[in-house]
Amino acid sequence: MTSTKYAAYKKSKYPFGIFMLIVAILYLIPALGVFLTSFRTDTEISLHGIWAVSGHLTLDNYLAVWSSSSTRIYMRNSFLVAIPATVISVILGTLTGYVLAKLKPRGTSFLTLFFVSGLFIPPQILLIPLFQLFNKVHLYDTLWPMIIVHSGYGISLCTLVMKNFFKNVPDELIEAALVDGASEPGILAKIVIPLSRPALGALATLQFTFIWNDFLYPLILARSESAQTVMVGILNMAGQYSTAYGAQAALSIVASLPTIVVFFLFQKQFIAGLTTGAVKG
Amino acid sequence: MVSRKRYWAWIFLSLPLALYGLIVVGPTLYSFYFSLTDSNLLSKTHNFVGLANFRALSKDSDFWEALRNTAIWTFVGVIVSLVLGFILALGLSKTRLWSRAIKSILFLPLALSLVVVGFIWFWIYRYDFGLINLLLRAVGKDSLTKDWLADPSTALISVIVAWAWQQISLSMIIFLAGLTAVPADLMEAAQMDGAKPRTQIRHVVIPSLAPAISVVISLALINALKTFDIVFVMTQGGPFGKTRTLAVLSYREAFRSYNFGYSSAIAVTLFILTVIIIGSFMYLTKRAGANDD
Repeated sequence: MTSTKYAAYKKSKYPFGIFMLIVAILYLIPALGVFLTSFRTDTEISLHGIWAVSGHLTLDNYLAVWSSSSTRIYMRNSFLVAIPATVISVILGTLTGYVLAKLKPRGTSFLTLFFVSGLFIPPQILLIPLFQLFNKVHLYDTLWPMIIVHSGYGISLCTLVMKNFFKNVPDELIEAALVDGASEPGILAKIVIPLSRPALGALATLQFTFIWNDFLYPLILARSESAQTVMVGILNMAGQYSTAYGAQAALSIVASLPTIVVFFLFQKQFIAGLTTGAVKG
Repeated sequence: MVSRKRYWAWIFLSLPLALYGLIVVGPTLYSFYFSLTDSNLLSKTHNFVGLANFRALSKDSDFWEALRNTAIWTFVGVIVSLVLGFILALGLSKTRLWSRAIKSILFLPLALSLVVVGFIWFWIYRYDFGLINLLLRAVGKDSLTKDWLADPSTALISVIVAWAWQQISLSMIIFLAGLTAVPADLMEAAQMDGAKPRTQIRHVVIPSLAPAISVVISLALINALKTFDIVFVMTQGGPFGKTRTLAVLSYREAFRSYNFGYSSAIAVTLFILTVIIIGSFMYLTKRAGANDD
């Protein structure tokens, strides 16, 4: 009885795989709309909508987006914010995570709570003070506030992920190095960090995605096009030409490409980052 | 050796502490102070007004509407993430054929910005060319078609569904990690004993998934409570404030009306709510975990 059931279960895996594939494709249907829109002219959209199977496709929207100087500014700004902020938050989180997992100074449990509780702070409570702070130091409407804010706000997640990772690094390795006369920064740089490459990769993937996709801080901390990131840029486009659906969809796709590429290239790391940050927390 | 370690600990911590203090802790405390003042953008000075902003909030129907919307969002968000996230993760864990491709598709929404997610769903909900109305017309149910985002009775749930599309991918990943951690021998034993799939899920899978469940709930809670981007993109809080969450209301008071004091009072309320909800949830799961041991 049990063995036949098991066999039946084994046999069922092919139809089941096909079933899950259909579920997955249905799940992605909403995204198809933007994709289709990006290949249609606005006239065509206003006549037939976007879901019609007929009609011809065009690359004009992509050409328009690509040749627009705004797009290049937005994309460049997004990179100029996301890359440094990712690097800084990961470095600072590594330092904190290492201290909390391995050096354990007095008050470690309080410090852990202190840093990790930032994950539960709604960003809205930071907006007015940050807005005033960066106005006061005349950095408002430049890229600096976004780099600084993401570097600081990201410390919570980076600390949590790195602390969970360092917990599993054997103490013996560190002690052996200490006996050999290595310094604390030397141990961190030469022994611990090389071991943490997978965790660092996972975390960087995650942070880059979060920072690239952020919308709230650029909305608050920058105003002019020259300091705007692409996620706010998509919205600006909607304001400028209210019926430029095609171009807006094309910009949405272009703006999503970096994170989609990162996601496909580093899917394993991306998932590992989410789950070590989450499940073991 | 021990004293040298301590010394380095604080050196390593100095930069993170300084930046975290500047960006997260300081502003949070400052907002608490602001919420007790009548500060706005134009006046250079501001007066301490005690709890006046909070008293005004308690009489503000916009605030109660936003609180209600946030509560609905949080409740629906948690339930949907748990149920659909779990079912899809269970399906994924049993999938062998093309499992990599299927996972990539189901996790893809996580790579997208909520701004883009908002645009994506816009083409589902539109009156004239939206997919829902198109399908309704195709099956002859024209009377059911509506402008889903502009109709006060469907706007909130429509935006929540769009948001949940991404949130479900997140809970799926966490459940899947939890499911692969379910001891294989335990599952095999249950199968050998002829336990029905439903019994297996109830007595083997769910108990060992407890940590994943609590993570999914806390992530859904925090993400729902601070909901801003997708509302801003899809409806700007409309129609008639039906999709306005506390986060959107706080933004509007601060950066449209420039009532910094009043906006801070809303943000502080949201902060306290979040601390109470997440805190009591963590306390409860900790106690439940302690009872199990």
